[in-house]
Amino acid sequence: MRLFKKTNIDFLGKRHFWYLVSSAMMVVGVVSIFTKGIALGIDFRGGTELVIAFSQPVQISEVRASLNAVGLGQSEIKSYGSAQNLLIRSTEQAEGTQIGDRIKAALQKTFPDQKLDVIKEDKIGPKIGKELRRDALYAVIWSMLAIMAYVAIRFKFTYGLGAVIALVHDVFTTFGFLSLLNGVFPQLNLEISQEVIAAFLTLIGTSVNDTVVIFDRIRENEKIYRSMPLDKVMNRSLNDTLSRTIITSGTIFLVLFILLIFGGEVNRGFAFTMGFGIVTGTYSSIYVASAFVFDWSLLRKKKA
Amino acid sequence: MRNQLTRIILILAAVVLSIVFLWPTYQDYNYRRQLNALHGQDSVAFLEQHQDDILNAKLKRIKLGLDLQGGMRVVLEVNILQFLDDFAKNKDDNFNAIIKEVRAETSTGDASVIPLFVKKFQERGIRLSRYYGSIRDDDAKIATMLQDEADKAVDRAVEIVRNRVDQYHVSEPNIQKQGGRRIIVELPGVKDENEVRQLLQGTAKLEFRLLKDPQITYRVMETIDKYLTGNLEPDTGAVKREQKKEEVQKPKDALSELTGGAAPEATDTTSEAKVQREHPFFFYVRPDQHGSGDGYVDAKDKDRVERLLARPEVQKLLPPDFAFVWSAKAQQFGDGIKRYILYAVRAVPELTGGVVVNAQASIDPEDNRPIVNMEMNNEGSREWARITGANINKRIAIMLDNAVYSAPVVQTKITGGRSRITGSDTPNEARLLEIVLKAGALPAPVSIIEQRSVGPSLGEDSIRSGLSSTLLAFIMTVLFMVVYYNSAGAVADFALLFNILFILGVMAGFQATLTLPGIAGIVLTIGMAVDANVLINERIREEMEGGKTLRAAIDAGYSKAFAAIFDSNITTFLTGVVLYQFGTGPVQGFALTLMIGIVASMFSAIVITHVIFNLMTEKGLNPNFG
Repeated sequence: MRLFKKTNIDFLGKRHFWYLVSSAMMVVGVVSIFTKGIALGIDFRGGTELVIAFSQPVQISEVRASLNAVGLGQSEIKSYGSAQNLLIRSTEQAEGTQIGDRIKAALQKTFPDQKLDVIKEDKIGPKIGKELRRDALYAVIWSMLAIMAYVAIRFKFTYGLGAVIALVHDVFTTFGFLSLLNGVFPQLNLEISQEVIAAFLTLIGTSVNDTVVIFDRIRENEKIYRSMPLDKVMNRSLNDTLSRTIITSGTIFLVLFILLIFGGEVNRGFAFTMGFGIVTGTYSSIYVASAFVFDWSLLRKKKA
Repeated sequence: MRNQLTRIILILAAVVLSIVFLWPTYQDYNYRRQLNALHGQDSVAFLEQHQDDILNAKLKRIKLGLDLQGGMRVVLEVNILQFLDDFAKNKDDNFNAIIKEVRAETSTGDASVIPLFVKKFQERGIRLSRYYGSIRDDDAKIATMLQDEADKAVDRAVEIVRNRVDQYHVSEPNIQKQGGRRIIVELPGVKDENEVRQLLQGTAKLEFRLLKDPQITYRVMETIDKYLTGNLEPDTGAVKREQKKEEVQKPKDALSELTGGAAPEATDTTSEAKVQREHPFFFYVRPDQHGSGDGYVDAKDKDRVERLLARPEVQKLLPPDFAFVWSAKAQQFGDGIKRYILYAVRAVPELTGGVVVNAQASIDPEDNRPIVNMEMNNEGSREWARITGANINKRIAIMLDNAVYSAPVVQTKITGGRSRITGSDTPNEARLLEIVLKAGALPAPVSIIEQRSVGPSLGEDSIRSGLSSTLLAFIMTVLFMVVYYNSAGAVADFALLFNILFILGVMAGFQATLTLPGIAGIVLTIGMAVDANVLINERIREEMEGGKTLRAAIDAGYSKAFAAIFDSNITTFLTGVVLYQFGTGPVQGFALTLMIGIVASMFSAIVITHVIFNLMTEKGLNPNFG
């Protein structure tokens, strides 16, 4: 089977239009991040998070009233998986695990006949939250630097720069997307957790993977067609690799889709973030990374 | 052709190695299934019978993360400021004000406590020697001393936590010191959170207890041995004959030397099974030949002996004011076997730890042996003089939270409260004893700054959803490849099977921990492994369209696609490395499987498929690239 016959698309010719699209997406994303904000998960915010399985279904309002009585009425309460499982989260900080104990005691008092099962309890001190935020940022920055260095060494410096600009584009649009969609689907928890940060780093990895495959073809074609102008060589390389790009991204997307549906609550945020990232990553390899390398070479030619 | 042969050997070696590494995991799974099917006495008997194998399998299997098997992860932080507060003398308002300020400034920031603390005093022109050290010490010297003491306090906290967790019987606990003053404790399968929290945070209990008279101890051991001879048979009787083979492997020479006259039958190597039947207690607990009353127990037998001792009938055999306690650590003996020491002590402590003011490990200037100097307060010194005076040439066990760290012999009556404890074999041992002795006097206050617990039901759910999504992803990918690339796709699928085997094999080999995000990593690797084959197959198609023969197209496809596969995988691998560096717990698990997956998939996608294509074309079965 073959989805793509030999294509001959003029990718670079339309790059200015896509620059506009990319810029628009990034602007929307950044605006959303600043106005709507990003929902940070318990890992990065600090506080106490409990998932409690009740033996019979309960009303969220009852639970809230119960917590109100112990001064924790501000807690976030939502169902987790099923109606009997509730996620309760408080950003209050206290010594040790007192908040969690207070919540459990209050609930047991309000629902004396019910058997409460603590499925999950996380308590993150304020310092830890801050450290995790810092580590996550470092992780993203370091991985980009490592990639830039590697690509610059294996190819040319401008290629490394192009790859990293594409990555910055991916990270910002994905962040913006998460911010935009947060709260739109009640079943989907789009908070920035450690798993979501892992998704970001993986999408950085796969996006650059795509870019490198294209760059590799450009490098090869440059040697074969020495007299061909750069835009022709690049277009040809993009067409040569198009089939592979779509099929690979398609398979990974499919796998992520399965993970999203069947992978369990914890992996959901990961799969969703990365699923979007695969799309922008594939796109940015062509219209950010490659297009940047081309425009940079045009600029150098003009100067010379 | 030669090349082909090397490749095949390489593949076979990787397969064999993976299976070898995965074998314990499979065994562990089997034992568990069999144990679940048994009840009551049967399961105890089964456990007795296979104890060593079960333990071995458990040690070498792929470990499940806390998110998959349920359990607790606690991060403790030693409260340095509290320690500085406790450690100071002559505290006044100025001091308290500074403590309060530093507490406010360090509660959210990362600033190091001690430099900030010292700076505050200097800003106010107060000399540190007012509160710490002696009057002649300058600030720099005291600051160094404080840092040193604070570090020791952290070591103390680690030792206390380790000792308690060891006694709590959690399987596979993990205790790690992180950075300067944090302790990470991971306890799989723990359900009672409150109990654990008390266990970790309570004040350490240091005790001095007199050892029982060796003759009494030996008599008690004999009574137990005799009792067990008649009463052990029912639940383990069927087992012994089978076990004989393994037991023979013990180094007999060393054993005979160790047991000496105390259990003479044990020296006859051919009759070990007989010894085990006739002396079920002495078979595991070997009394010291010098008549000290200590019993030596192989580290692997400790659980078994504990089970024996815990029997209510055995407990009834113990005289009043008599207790068996264990040494805190297993010691390496001359024959290379690690053994715990079983001590018999009085149930009532002579003294408790509050009386110890200070302890210091050092070296005896006369014979260069490591020693520990211990200092007691006035009240303790008086008691100590009485106790030591009345028990010259007897032994006193130094115990922390019920585990014996040292059991020195009292040489003379010690007045004035300064004691010298000799007999540590290494400076490290002496330092450990110092830590233990100080634990009573200078507690290291710890607080929980992070706690995560996952109930076992969530863990099971996670495993199920993880496995089902992996399986589904695998099936979908496999189907797609066959549909799109025909028989070449089937070859890639075949390689994918090996890929998964390799990933699991390497994980088992490294004894890595599988977490839920780790499963996501494997799922993702499936997607990425296919990428290499897509690159190769697309390339081969192109080459064939360019007019090459199948054989030439395959070779050209592999060699031309290699650079792209290599470079693109390296970049992904780099992000995996970064993720591993900065991530914690589950995320590290993801990074690890991702990295292993990349290496495994490059091998299986490039080497294995190439070998198969070559074999096929040689046999005239030309692969179809769709």
